[in-house]
Amino acid sequence: MESMGRVTPSTLSTKDLPWQILWNKEKCTLCGGCTAVCPVRAIDLGVHRKRSLQVPVGLETKPGNLFSIYHGIDQRTDPAHACVGCGMCTMVCPNGAIAPLHSEGIDKLRFHVNQGGEPRRRGGRRNNPDSVLDKIKFIRISMLTDPALDAGRHEFELRTLLGRVLPPEEMLKVSRENGWMPPVREIYPLVIGSMSFGALSPNMWEGLQMGVAYLNEELGMPVRVCTGEGGCPPRLLKSRFLKYVILQIASGYFGWDEIIHSLPQMKEDPCAIEIKYGQGAKPGDGGLLMWYKVNKLIAAIRGVPQGISLPSPPTHQTKYSIEEAVAKMIQSMSMAWGFRVPVYPKISATSTAMAVLNNLTRNPYAAGLAIDGEDGGTGAAYNVSMDHMGHPIASNLRDAYLTLVKLGKQNEIPLFAGGGIGKNGNLAANAAALIMLGASGVQTGKYIMQAAAGCLGSEGDRCNVCNVGVCPKGITSQDPRLDRRLDPEQVAQRVVDLYLSFDTELKKIVAPLGRSTSLPIGMSDALGINDADAAERLNIKYVL
Amino acid sequence: MTKKDSIKIAGVENNIRVESRILEERIQKAVEDGYRQIEVTAYGQHGIGGRLWRSGDKPIKVDVLGTSGQRLGSMGFASTVIEAFGPASDDVGWLNAGAEIIVHGNATNGTANAMAQGKVYIDGDIGARGMTMTKHNPRFEPPELWVFGKVGDSFAEFMAGGIAVVCGAGSEEEKNVLGYRPCVGMVGGKIFFRGRQENYSKADAKLLIDLPGDEWQWLQTNMKRFLQAIGKQYLFDQLASKREEWQLLVARKPSEKLARAVKSMAKYRKEVWEGELGTGGVIGDLSSLDRSPIGLIPTGDLRRFIPVWANEKYLPPCQAACPTGIPVQKRWELIRQGKVDEAVDLALQYTPFPATVCGYLCPNLCMQNCTRHLVSLQAVDVTLLGKASLSAKEPVRLPETGKKIAVIGGGASGLSVAWQLWLKGHQTVIMEGKKQLGGKITDSIPKNRIPNDVVEYEISRLAKNIHQVHLGKPLTKDRFLKLRNENDYIVIAAGAAKPRKLNIPGMEKTLTALEFLQQSKLDCAKVGEKVIVIGAGNVGCDAATEAFRLGAKSVTLIDVQEPASFGVERKHAEAAGAKFLWPRFTKTVTDKGVELADGELLPAETVIVAVGDMPDLSFLPEGIATERGFIVVDENYATSDAQVYAIGDAVRPGLLTDAIGAGRIAARTIDDLLRGADQTYDKLPVINYERVKLQYFDPRISEFADTSSCATNCASCGACRDCGMCVEICPQKAISRSQTPAGGFEYIVDSERCIGCGFCIGACPTGVWEIVENAPLE
Repeated sequence: MESMGRVTPSTLSTKDLPWQILWNKEKCTLCGGCTAVCPVRAIDLGVHRKRSLQVPVGLETKPGNLFSIYHGIDQRTDPAHACVGCGMCTMVCPNGAIAPLHSEGIDKLRFHVNQGGEPRRRGGRRNNPDSVLDKIKFIRISMLTDPALDAGRHEFELRTLLGRVLPPEEMLKVSRENGWMPPVREIYPLVIGSMSFGALSPNMWEGLQMGVAYLNEELGMPVRVCTGEGGCPPRLLKSRFLKYVILQIASGYFGWDEIIHSLPQMKEDPCAIEIKYGQGAKPGDGGLLMWYKVNKLIAAIRGVPQGISLPSPPTHQTKYSIEEAVAKMIQSMSMAWGFRVPVYPKISATSTAMAVLNNLTRNPYAAGLAIDGEDGGTGAAYNVSMDHMGHPIASNLRDAYLTLVKLGKQNEIPLFAGGGIGKNGNLAANAAALIMLGASGVQTGKYIMQAAAGCLGSEGDRCNVCNVGVCPKGITSQDPRLDRRLDPEQVAQRVVDLYLSFDTELKKIVAPLGRSTSLPIGMSDALGINDADAAERLNIKYVL
Repeated sequence: MTKKDSIKIAGVENNIRVESRILEERIQKAVEDGYRQIEVTAYGQHGIGGRLWRSGDKPIKVDVLGTSGQRLGSMGFASTVIEAFGPASDDVGWLNAGAEIIVHGNATNGTANAMAQGKVYIDGDIGARGMTMTKHNPRFEPPELWVFGKVGDSFAEFMAGGIAVVCGAGSEEEKNVLGYRPCVGMVGGKIFFRGRQENYSKADAKLLIDLPGDEWQWLQTNMKRFLQAIGKQYLFDQLASKREEWQLLVARKPSEKLARAVKSMAKYRKEVWEGELGTGGVIGDLSSLDRSPIGLIPTGDLRRFIPVWANEKYLPPCQAACPTGIPVQKRWELIRQGKVDEAVDLALQYTPFPATVCGYLCPNLCMQNCTRHLVSLQAVDVTLLGKASLSAKEPVRLPETGKKIAVIGGGASGLSVAWQLWLKGHQTVIMEGKKQLGGKITDSIPKNRIPNDVVEYEISRLAKNIHQVHLGKPLTKDRFLKLRNENDYIVIAAGAAKPRKLNIPGMEKTLTALEFLQQSKLDCAKVGEKVIVIGAGNVGCDAATEAFRLGAKSVTLIDVQEPASFGVERKHAEAAGAKFLWPRFTKTVTDKGVELADGELLPAETVIVAVGDMPDLSFLPEGIATERGFIVVDENYATSDAQVYAIGDAVRPGLLTDAIGAGRIAARTIDDLLRGADQTYDKLPVINYERVKLQYFDPRISEFADTSSCATNCASCGACRDCGMCVEICPQKAISRSQTPAGGFEYIVDSERCIGCGFCIGACPTGVWEIVENAPLE
């Protein structure tokens, strides 16, 4: 783009952008695919004038100018249309003539995305590939000492418990006195974390649900999926598949009116109720589903009129203390299903998590605690919240578990860990590390989006346009023009594939520990790390 | 065999067990010594009977009495036959390389594990993990395991070859004669079994219920040998006469491996998922939209963006910048179409002074704002077109309306509004206090700026049409009110003809610039050698230039601030030798010249004051609001009296084109009011010049020879030049040109072909095409 000779403080060249579009004039066939598919319209057709001086050899005649025009793919440089590196152009190019390349240096765009005084907001993740979970090794491999198991041929029952487990003496007392026994679910230890209908496209959301139902019904894996805030389609609420679903309630309370209305027609209880107090990716930041995304479908499911913005504040409006928040919410949610459904809070990993946990230990109705670490993903947040706020999951979870150990309640309140599990693709290893650090199970969302739906996001700030509804894969868009790029059936199949492969990998990790029927929860003697500080902090072995 | 060949080896000597190592040494020695019939009284020794290659091809028979240890006959050779007269421990025939091993009793776990050749005959049951890891080396016959009874769990794990036969004798009622989960990881070989088997690794093995003929044949043939070996020939009929009792498990070939013996997702979705939820899945009841998968580059309604041919939906910068509002690019377009006369004629629709102003006196804001100019291309030269307007044909006047409007003032703005109102069929009366029409154009703009005949021609063109022109009658309040009663509207275009004066001593010794310029135009002004002009604006510059013309030796312009003069006025003054001084504050004007506040004296014979002019509004009745001497108007030039409009310098000082434009807008407004029409004039936004593609033009043009060359190089911002670029660039051939019923043309998009790539937008030279988001589907 010609600068028109004038620059503003925010005039950038392509060199200043995080991604540069490399376009090959020789290969390009000008088919229009790249510009048609680009989610942010970062490229367009440009007109170029070439000049060459025609100089006759021997200077027998006067030299002359020769101009010619050609058309090519130009990269736009205004912040609103900066390339996000998704690479859809490359995907559709028949000739391999175009590709985004990540800038080597630090881009200048970051200093100009705040046009109009609005700091950067985006979807995605922290854009930091560091992961302490990836560094954890499983150092206890039994060959001859313990009954070593063969992951390939041994039968495993990798299950965990979600729900309050009473200590034996209390359990005996309750059963003797016909008292109330807290509901406990035996579930698969990898839970699909909360991603709302609204944050996800209808096809994505349905694909996840279908895959989960398939895993349960065809493969006997009791996998559970959390709805996220935003309700649940009434058809699902009234179906038998509801038992595979963890319903989430969060500060916006969206969709709960429809859920309440569906209560009389429910064939099954949901697996559990998750009360969301915080999200690891953006602690202290709320959510806002912009009015233009609240289409007919979203409106119907959330039980609101079409075309209004839907704010989910950072905090619940009527809760002023841990005691009150936890007691009040757990009571209400338990009551809705006659105290037959486990109810647990989910919080952002935080230095104050122990206070919440301590409180839960004193509340017999608390079914567990989910802690979501800073490496979680989100559909939309302020960049500053995503990049700079939050607590890593490993040490927070570890502290929580060791707190329970001190109280002697480590087998009573299950901890579920989330946030960055599998962020670099090592889903089973990360999950197993957290389990051995003390988690009863793990929750993951991002990995599912990447593996089941082909999310293009990376830890290198690629794509990350979930927040503006232009997801090029149709994962987070409410626009059927994008949503329909995703086939729910294929998503479901990928969910199945990834769970089966996760299962195999998890077995490969736990089989050498001789575990096949009970998860090695808190079996931290199996863990090592070649970082002495991390080893000390996590109370695991330092190995070199 | 002879007695000489045979030897007995004891596993216990003097009540002490012989170590496996010693027993092995003794057996090997016996073979070396030529013994071929060896009877071992075992006491749990390991690996008895294996590795007896020293006999070469000569057959060796090892009878094992007593208690066999683990791995009976391990690594056995083909010439060896081992017969254990009692049960055997783990791993019978381990890594068997050809021996025939007969066990008269049960064998425990691992029977035939890793066997590659030979035969293992068990007259009983076996424990877990039998026939595991067995191989078939193609150089030899496959190994065989025969079991009279049943086998334990995990049978045939990782079996890679060989044949197992499980007769199931005595286990006819068992649910699983092959135990729990046989065949996991099995990749080769086969298993004949008699009896029932519910579970086995279906991914690895396939079950043949009807035994094929050749397999049955083989089984019957070899069954005899087995029964003979274990001494139970009499059971042949019982075991091997009913083909239907036998089944065969065969390892799946790699090509036959089942990924998972489960429902396809498509089937699950259709039958189970939608069976429970209803057609359309979780939201089938909430949305009727098609949700079937689509590709990445769809057409029609599924395009995210659609191109729009927004022809003339934005103003070109030239037209937008022209206060008179002349559609400059439309005129170039007409020239490109060869309609030169129409292009010239068009101007008179907008101004009565196309030649005088556009051709000479205007600073040509259109050119200053030309898109081409913005990227250092030469702006197309509108003065050529202006000058050509002398030959313009007068526009057709609308029919007489009988409405009357009085215009007070016959300068640029008054003549503009009168001309426009006359064109619209109204009667106009021009009241001009001076003896001639034209205002500043005729009475104070220096002669060198424009040929006199051009002005005269354009004024006469107007005057001959507007008959009611009253000259030389100064207006009073009474006459104003009378005019107001006699006319439908009054437009005040009285100009600013009252020079502003300085409140300093000696003012009477000065000339006002207006007086001076008017006199000089009539060639009756006189100046001294040294001239000071107080006020260095454009009028001051004109005065300075004229002073030189009239014989001044030096002219100095002073101002209290940096002079605001620009353009030709400034250039002419500078060229003539004028000096500019600022900031200078005048204290008094004396006979010697100008004395400044700081005491300095600037000597001068003639002092001209050019600090602006004020309107003379002495005729204005009380009711019409003014501010600082100028009439207050709204955006359409209506005064506080709805019947009275005011335009030109009487409202605010400006360029000629400002005055002419104000006249046009006021006329349009009055015409609307008279006709009772709504004011529906589009206020079109100016086109974003980045939409216009100047790369198509030659950047090295520095001057335009003629209007035709200008027309070619006009970028035609926002107005289609019908070049057909879009039709050609469209990769889908989705754009076509079509004739409109009105005789014009338009470019249309076939939405079923268009992919919304925006190439038409990118390539369009004029920026007519724009891309918009497609309407939401729901």
